[in-house]
Amino acid sequence: MAEFDKADIEKLIDGVLPWPATQDMLKSSKDTDRFDKYVEIMQARVDFEDPILLPLTPMLFIVAAKGERVVKCRCGHAFGDYRVNWKLSALINVRDDEASISEVYKGREMPDPAWVQIREYICGGCGAQLEVEAVPRGCPPDFEFLPDLDTFYSEWLGRPLPDTVSFEDKTLEKIAEWSN
Amino acid sequence: MALSLQEQTKANEEAFKKTGSLFGLERLARKESDPGTYEAVWHILSNLCNAAWATGCKVSSSPIAAEGGDALWGLHTSTGEAICISRGISAHAGLLSDMIKNFIAFGYEDNPGFKEGDIFENNDPHYGGIHSPDFDMCMPLFYDGKLIAWASCVSHVSDSGSVTPGSIGFLNPDCYSDGLPISMERVGEHDRFYPWYEMRIRSRTRTPDFVMGDARGRLAGCLTIRERLEEVIEKYGLDFFLEAGREYIEDSRRYAVGRVKTQTVPGRIRKSQFKDLAMKGKRVLLAKQDIDCAFNLPMELTINADASVSLSLQGASGTVPFGENISPTALKSGLMMGYSHIVGFDMFNSGPIAAWDIEMPPAGSWANPFEVNFEAASGVAWAPAVTWVSNLYEVFGRLFQMRGFIEEMAAGSGTIMTAEFSGINQTGMYLTGLTLEQASQGSPARGYSDGENSAWCIYTPEADFGNAEISELYYPILFLGRNVAPNSGGYGQFRGGLGHTAVWMVHNTPGLEYQCGDAGMRSKMVANHGMYGAYPVVPDRPAYGHKTNVKQLIDEQKPLIHGRGDPESPAIASLIDAELVEDNAVAPFVTPEPLQDHDIIVHPIAGAQAMGDPILRDPESVAKDLNEGWTTDRVAGDIHGVVTQKPNGAFVVDAEATEAKRSEIREARKTRAIPFQQWWAEERERIKAHENMDPAIVTMWSTCMELSPKYAEELRAFWDLPEDFVFGA
Repeated sequence: MAEFDKADIEKLIDGVLPWPATQDMLKSSKDTDRFDKYVEIMQARVDFEDPILLPLTPMLFIVAAKGERVVKCRCGHAFGDYRVNWKLSALINVRDDEASISEVYKGREMPDPAWVQIREYICGGCGAQLEVEAVPRGCPPDFEFLPDLDTFYSEWLGRPLPDTVSFEDKTLEKIAEWSN
Repeated sequence: MALSLQEQTKANEEAFKKTGSLFGLERLARKESDPGTYEAVWHILSNLCNAAWATGCKVSSSPIAAEGGDALWGLHTSTGEAICISRGISAHAGLLSDMIKNFIAFGYEDNPGFKEGDIFENNDPHYGGIHSPDFDMCMPLFYDGKLIAWASCVSHVSDSGSVTPGSIGFLNPDCYSDGLPISMERVGEHDRFYPWYEMRIRSRTRTPDFVMGDARGRLAGCLTIRERLEEVIEKYGLDFFLEAGREYIEDSRRYAVGRVKTQTVPGRIRKSQFKDLAMKGKRVLLAKQDIDCAFNLPMELTINADASVSLSLQGASGTVPFGENISPTALKSGLMMGYSHIVGFDMFNSGPIAAWDIEMPPAGSWANPFEVNFEAASGVAWAPAVTWVSNLYEVFGRLFQMRGFIEEMAAGSGTIMTAEFSGINQTGMYLTGLTLEQASQGSPARGYSDGENSAWCIYTPEADFGNAEISELYYPILFLGRNVAPNSGGYGQFRGGLGHTAVWMVHNTPGLEYQCGDAGMRSKMVANHGMYGAYPVVPDRPAYGHKTNVKQLIDEQKPLIHGRGDPESPAIASLIDAELVEDNAVAPFVTPEPLQDHDIIVHPIAGAQAMGDPILRDPESVAKDLNEGWTTDRVAGDIHGVVTQKPNGAFVVDAEATEAKRSEIREARKTRAIPFQQWWAEERERIKAHENMDPAIVTMWSTCMELSPKYAEELRAFWDLPEDFVFGA
């Protein structure tokens, strides 16, 4: 089984690992402890102490914070329960007219705002652009990934988390709160 | 007594259900006992398929197969599962497998029976084909009088007699206009086509020499497989082939399941995707087609605790009166291709898809048309399907990231806009066919680098746009340019590989139709989302000039057009005078009248999706792109926040000013953006009022909610809409 140096993985993440070494990683059988190495690397790069349970994206992490599993940005800004689409707790900038779209796309590169809106999800802490959606009006935001964290830790990694929570999408519960 | 093929198929299914292993193979006995031979024979079989591809393409006549290699050969078990396939259009591997299974399921073993030298074909979407120009062929292979395997092939012919010339039949209004059907037929015996097969092709296709040449190419490849397989069996024995052939498939299934478990995370993944088909006011065939259409192409994928994968298309929108509806069988084949690229490579066969549980798409949707709309057209069924499959790359890219396998990550692909010509060429011959430009797009951004320029194509590993000179031999055109298209790979930390722009001058013809076709393009919308905060790829917008002054420019030795020019001041408008100039055309379309000598076509090919916040892009990479002419000052500054200077003719980064500008951008974003809840409350009112929603979008939502009640319920709940809310009411 291949083992890759943590420093090489860091270089890979930063896009500076030389191509021959990258090819080696691509072609070799995978290292079994990659997840732990990756979490260690990312833990050292974030501005918070809460342990990372899952790197959701390169910028967003599900962390264990005071007994809760919440989504946090790299800067430490919190987005709440990971079972609620984190986008509901983000800032959003929507480009849905020619003036705002033309700040990104010019002339023939412009899409038609009656067909599509560009939604930019922004971290309220550091101003990072976390996701961009290009969807027609009416489309709910993509809840890209709802992990089954307990199955992952207990059955796939063989080390159950100290507590368990239900594997369910709670986004609509939050919407219901807004509606009332 | 030997089981019939139908009985054997049923036994295989029961064994899989009982053991969880394909063919009930709980042990890979051949692999365990003789791994060296097992591996060696795999490569021999694989090469045997590649030899068929090389032979078959050379025998073929059309440039699509002969120059572009746009064909595929496969070797299958007696019950149809693909053991291995050749290089070429791997998207069809599942179709070929299902075609053989259908011949068995439909009782052909009894009537007309299977015997050595039989040639069977299908291109009919109602029986599992994808679209009529893709001719799927198979031949049963015998050893000592026993059917032991099948050889298969698909090639994409230049014309199959559909209502419009060519092979990208997006304009077809119904299945009756889709072209000549070969509906699960025996088309030859004793290694020869029936005379009436050739007669039908001669009377019902526009380029019969090419179509028959390609048929002979398919046959030549299948015969190559037959002959080479006999050599393999002579050397390694029939039992080894039969047993190892099954083991390769189960081995591949295990590899895919294992990879899902060790490199992804269980849970639910959702990715929306949309596509436009704007035809209102354009040249169409029937009055009902004078409309704009939008597609909802949603993907919900669940990685289960046992690492199996469930897939749903709930929310898929309704059929369209164009050739852009696809059968579930063909859709599954595309999915198998994408999955095999992403997860189950090395031994590409039927194995990986066996661990999938695919929910039947909503009846009456673009992804399952025939149950409700038997007349639905499938002239280019691939168009919505490939756009949908492109999600799979991003979805698995996200999963690999979560486990730290950055080297495996990819963003989604770009779009596929085709160019097809029909008319009299420079030799006086009528010709219609597809150029190969679209077979060489930018590749998706990776987790650690930009994608490659003009080096990738989602539906084939043969990402090759062919030689310009060869295209000029077939078609009455001359290339005035084939250039990297700046800013065509989205804007992100890592950008997608860039696409290119072909500039053609019509040359030496009494008239040429240019069909700017939809094989998965978007022209009203941007292509794909961004990933991790990147901006999506620009829409597909071609250009052309009709009745130009180019001959005069040539005579006077003045500058010609060689590229696309600035998005706000297109080169075609500034360099050329013409009676008709479309410098920003919404695709797809067919030119209103035939183009003539010295007319100009500017045909862009997309780059692929980017990844990451654009202000995280390495400033040196931005400067490099500026120096290559691959991006522009505006994008470098406004989108990437990179400040450059040009002291000695080359762009260099001003690091301090860049850092300051990026800080400004971050703060400006926070100032401009609003809390999601505030936007949600305002947006739901705009949704209720259908504010600035094109009628095509309203219709799309209406059909997808009608076809998928559960999806509709969730959509209403998200926007807190009344229970009886429907779009367009």
